Amino acid sequence: MQAFQADLSRFERLNAQVLGVSPDDVETHKKFSASLGLRFPLVSDKDGAIQKRYAPGRITYLIDRNGIIRHKHTGPLTQEILDKKILPLVKELQQ
Amino acid sequence: MMETLILSAAALLIAAPTSFAAPPKAGDPAPLFEAPSTAGTIRLADFRGKKPVVLAFYFADFTPG
Repeated sequence: MQAFQADLSRFERLNAQVLGVSPDDVETHKKFSASLGLRFPLVSDKDGAIQKRYAPGRITYLIDRNGIIRHKHTGPLTQEILDKKILPLVKELQQ
Repeated sequence: MMETLILSAAALLIAAPTSFAAPPKAGDPAPLFEAPSTAGTIRLADFRGKKPVVLAFYFADFTPG
């Protein structure tokens, strides 16, 4: 999530919404957000129901404005992956 | 005998239920959800027609990444 915060203004310029999802409750999410200064929402998936509809593990989906999945990244997100992969794909969606 | 055992084991593996029957892939519609968040209730459907969404699943707060 730290990597996202570092790049958040770039996602915002591209009019993309970043959402983090984990099984933590909202209170824990709020403490975590405050500790890192996160400015994007963290969603509480307490019973794992959301993740069950997607895929297990650390996984990131890029969803276009029509609600269609355009890209799926498996594994942890590093600054490099955000910069070289995710952001360029978001940029493509603007065109 | 060994062959039967291996085959039975394979059959069990194939039949094992999984909660991730068919994970959605590129080109599929993103499964909709509604859930509480640090910014109130989030509905994926609310972003439709407005902005792309980067949906990032992670294991837990206060862990790296």
